[in-house]
Amino acid sequence: MINNPILRCLNLNKTFKDSYAVTDITFEISEGEILAILGPSGCGKTTTLRLIAGFETPELGSIEIAGKLMSGPGTFIAPEKRNVGMVFQDYALFPHLSVIDNVGYGLKNTGQEEARLRMVLTMAGLVRLQNRMPNELSGGEQQRVALARALVRSPNILLLDEPFSNLDIKLRQQVRVEVKDILKNNGVSSLFVTHDQREAFEMGDRIIILNEGHIEQVGTAEDIYEHPNTTFVAQFVGIADFLPIYTTANTTQCALGSLYIKQNLTNMANVTLMIRPTDTSICPSDQGSGTIISRIYQGAFTLYRILLNTGDFVHSLVPSKQKLQIGTKVNLRLKSDHIPRCFEGDRAINIA
Amino acid sequence: MNAEIQNRFIRNRNSIFFIWTLTLFLITACSGSSTSSVVPEPDTNAQDKITNSNKDILTVYSGRSESLVGPIIDQFAISTGVDVAVKYGKTPQLAATILEEGAKSPADIFFAQDPGGLAAVENLLIPIAENTLNQVPEWARSTDAKWVGISGRARTVVYNPNNIDESDLPNDMWGFVEPQWNGRIGWAPANASFQTMVTGMRTLWGEDKTREWLNGIQRNEPTIYPKNTPQVAAVARGEIDVGFVNHYYLFRFLAEEGDDFPVRNYHPRAGGPGSVIMVAGAGILESSKNKTTAEKFLGFMLSEIAQQYFTAQTYEYPLIDGVKTSRILVPIDEINHPNMPLSSFADLEGTGKLLRETGILP
Amino acid sequence: MKSLIDSKSFASKTKQNGSMWVLWLPSMFVVIAMSLPLIWLFARSIDAGSDFWDLVLRPRTLSIMLRSISLVIAVTITSALIAVPMAWLTTRTDLPYRKLWGIIAPLPLVIPSYIGAFLVVIALGPKGLLQDGLDLVFGIEQIPSIYGFTGAWLTLSLLSYPYIFLPVRATLSRMDRSIEEASHNLGKGSWSTFKNITLPLLKPSITSGGILVALYTLTDFGAVSILHYETFTWAVYIQFESMIDRSMASIFSLILVLLAILILLPTTLYSNKGRLYRNDPGTPTLPPPIPLGKWRFIATLFCIIVILFSLVIPMSVLTYWLVRGFEFFPSLTNILTATWNTFSIAIIASIMALVSSIPIAILAVRYPNSWTKLLERWTYMGFALPGLVIALALVFFGSQFATPLYQTRTLLVFGYLILFIPGCLGSLQSSLEQINPRLEEAARSLGSGGLKVFLSITLPLLRPGIMSGLALVFLLTAKELPATLILAPIGFSTLATLIWSNASEAFFAQTAAYSLVLILLSSLPMIFLISKRT
Repeated sequence: MINNPILRCLNLNKTFKDSYAVTDITFEISEGEILAILGPSGCGKTTTLRLIAGFETPELGSIEIAGKLMSGPGTFIAPEKRNVGMVFQDYALFPHLSVIDNVGYGLKNTGQEEARLRMVLTMAGLVRLQNRMPNELSGGEQQRVALARALVRSPNILLLDEPFSNLDIKLRQQVRVEVKDILKNNGVSSLFVTHDQREAFEMGDRIIILNEGHIEQVGTAEDIYEHPNTTFVAQFVGIADFLPIYTTANTTQCALGSLYIKQNLTNMANVTLMIRPTDTSICPSDQGSGTIISRIYQGAFTLYRILLNTGDFVHSLVPSKQKLQIGTKVNLRLKSDHIPRCFEGDRAINIA
Repeated sequence: MNAEIQNRFIRNRNSIFFIWTLTLFLITACSGSSTSSVVPEPDTNAQDKITNSNKDILTVYSGRSESLVGPIIDQFAISTGVDVAVKYGKTPQLAATILEEGAKSPADIFFAQDPGGLAAVENLLIPIAENTLNQVPEWARSTDAKWVGISGRARTVVYNPNNIDESDLPNDMWGFVEPQWNGRIGWAPANASFQTMVTGMRTLWGEDKTREWLNGIQRNEPTIYPKNTPQVAAVARGEIDVGFVNHYYLFRFLAEEGDDFPVRNYHPRAGGPGSVIMVAGAGILESSKNKTTAEKFLGFMLSEIAQQYFTAQTYEYPLIDGVKTSRILVPIDEINHPNMPLSSFADLEGTGKLLRETGILP
Repeated sequence: MKSLIDSKSFASKTKQNGSMWVLWLPSMFVVIAMSLPLIWLFARSIDAGSDFWDLVLRPRTLSIMLRSISLVIAVTITSALIAVPMAWLTTRTDLPYRKLWGIIAPLPLVIPSYIGAFLVVIALGPKGLLQDGLDLVFGIEQIPSIYGFTGAWLTLSLLSYPYIFLPVRATLSRMDRSIEEASHNLGKGSWSTFKNITLPLLKPSITSGGILVALYTLTDFGAVSILHYETFTWAVYIQFESMIDRSMASIFSLILVLLAILILLPTTLYSNKGRLYRNDPGTPTLPPPIPLGKWRFIATLFCIIVILFSLVIPMSVLTYWLVRGFEFFPSLTNILTATWNTFSIAIIASIMALVSSIPIAILAVRYPNSWTKLLERWTYMGFALPGLVIALALVFFGSQFATPLYQTRTLLVFGYLILFIPGCLGSLQSSLEQINPRLEEAARSLGSGGLKVFLSITLPLLRPGIMSGLALVFLLTAKELPATLILAPIGFSTLATLIWSNASEAFFAQTAAYSLVLILLSSLPMIFLISKRT
């Protein structure tokens, strides 16, 4: 699918005493692509970045950057020789250097370094701040300095470690847009890690879901949201409820009624149907199949949590103009455009 | 920052202050009142002393070290029942301490390594009883009866018999200014005994010749030592060939290292300042509240037992008649020493001036 | 960062409304205590006759001053050159047995300079152990003289580099590693990163350690007297010890104070930019050590040589003396008594120094301005004067104005306080600087009262600084000689005083026994401290 990957990781393995280990990590990034690694804390996201940057040595597997082997059997290129840019979680600005000295730190004497420095400072909007010390900058400004410093050497690939986690939420939104613009406008191939699903969806061309050190799924945001490979992925990228499926010779049923599924599920055990809150509609009814037990008002929409008579829970997101109180009996129905996704145990079943 | 947090800040500081004062108070209280359970600490508190003055208590400032005089002072305490408290230190430091204390000094006796230390505090001493003084020869006591010699020591030249034959050593100190001694001499010009010798030199030779001698030795680039012991060790190692010291250091080395220790004493055969006899002595402070006991102490130190102790244990010369000098020492009569009263060693200030002028001391 | 600015502006506000006395009052007590020796020196120097200017202004005084200054500069630089690479090697690289090196490296601090210098002469002096060895193996009969500058410089550097090693190592081990990684990531190798990033960030620790080394060198008497290098402190002692000339000694001491101010002044003007406390680091585990590669051998050799000369040789010579003169071994009661005395007085002194330092440390770190800076620097006055001067000043004040306290342990502890408060203050300050003031604010916002915040938040967080401050004052007290000799109650002998009395009478076996006990006793808190940190 990718012809000229700028980064290729093959079967990376690294273990630690406590956690943060990674197993069999394999993925590629193509030129100009932004790849997000999404996962809960301790899943090995940062370790993966540090392996690529060369701060850790993999026990198994190889890393190629721009066609050159960086880590692999018998090969280890020092971090300073990899031309990989990195934005650290706490930015790691040099506290004793001014903005311009921080950004210019990595430049070599080529004759053009002055021009490059100017360009990057302008691009990051730092010209006005260039003589400040790091402790005189706001969080967003420090972020931009860290980014500019990493980009000044035109790295083959840019690594960003939870780059927005130190910013407040309002600023985060704005900085995300700025950073994505800078990366896309300059065609920078980048890999960033985050535990925030919205951030990954917004920034990443593709997303890797990492859990306990292994890759659960790789794909675009849509792929991952709509076709999760595992129940973990399904629940990590949004709300998902799983209803048991009962099959007989010619019918397939769940608590919300019968389903039309071609595949024969009879010889499988523990089969469930994934339901997203947007998959259902509700209407109040005294003979309803469930009862509202909580509601969260979100503005245009309201999220209801419903206890079905069967004992299962389902979430439903409906337009807020329909106002229902807690305790109301409701009828729940699958929307007609719903494409069923079924799981056997915690793995998805491929349905044609 | 709002007012509430500000208040808490202030409260926080209040509590720090509270802990601070409390600890200060507690520690002052316990360190002030506690006496060690391990060492029975004699009471040194001036006020207590007044209330207990009927009990025999004696405070001695000793410029001679505990290992040398401790046993004989203990002997005094046992045989007289007097409670003796001794503060050990370096003679000049104790002299300076007594000068700072002035009339409030808790000391009764100052037992000094050398006459210089006693001379520095002479104004704070009282004359000693005749019969005590008369036990020692006239040359071994101060002219105005302020202090008395307790033990005698001779100046000497230490040399390494493996490197030098005794017959190659010059007849007197003057010989060491010859260029053949260049780089072979060690001395300790800051040492009080050395300075006493220089004072003697000034009396015997006069100011000019002494200056010439000092300059002459300096031309020979002597190695400077802070005191006598390392000089003796240096001679043994062959670092220097001769050193100007007191006689008894050698015997302490011999006791510890055995007779192979390659150093011997040489008392210049022509006499002169190189073989003067000096004393370690003691005096009674004017501020003392136990002058009678103090006299008793001096009397004991000049008794036969004590004098015997000094010659046998510290390898010094006894100062009273009837006590035999230790067999390993060269008897005082066999040393060709100049007969000088101790008063001729009194002008320490003049010696200091000379040593400064010649650039030997700062 | 924001709140740091807040707390600064808050500080100036509260100072104006006069509620700072709770910190200032105890601090002023320390200031007054520190001033006593100076007052005494001025009083005594007035006694000097008319010819004192002639004495002070003669070329010899100038040459002694130049000798002092050159020794201070040489020792400070050499100590830094030993300490900084060692600290870096033991915290950042794959040096073999680096944990062990980290524990051993600070130990030379416990060797008193009077013992160290004596042993250097035995080992490296003419006809010493080294030359005997060379003579035996290569037939070399003469080696360069150890006396004078060379010996004093070597001895003091080898004994005092831990003053720099300890703070530098502490800073290195808590420094945000991502800062160094960022530099590697930007294409810089280990050396370039060290030079451009690590070293500048170590500057405050090198400076604070360097001040201690410089002042220690300036006021050392033991090493310079044994190795015949004439410094100002030596001149002060000569005035006291051989002339008993108090006014000349006072004048020389005042010049010594001037030299100390010259050392302290530039560091007072220097202020570090940026915050020192850090946010929670995102690094999951400690980064792997830097491989030394072909440098591994040279680095190991460097550590071996330093430890060999600063620790192994001195300890071996002492052990040799002890074994050789075993029949002269002092009685166990004597050793136990002296050890207990040393231990108890050093514990009390270190706790007192700690308690006195806390208000000053809080003022200097949380409310930085020129007054608090001056206050903090003023406490170094005691470190800038020889122990003898402080002791005699206290003899005067004690016997004349505080007779009941005179020749009690209280006055002795007071003397130690004046001498050694800076040892404690430095580590407290650097510890306090790393505590984010937001943590204290957080505790207050959770409704904790002032006392509770101090006990439950500040004090536990300060613990590393408290422990190292206590350990440093403990060992400085344990080995202090002149102040102990003069100020101790009668009959109170410590290991240091017994070492002195035995060494001065050439009783080597006893000297060795007491020295070894002293070194072991002072090593215990050091080893405890360092092994806990690593």
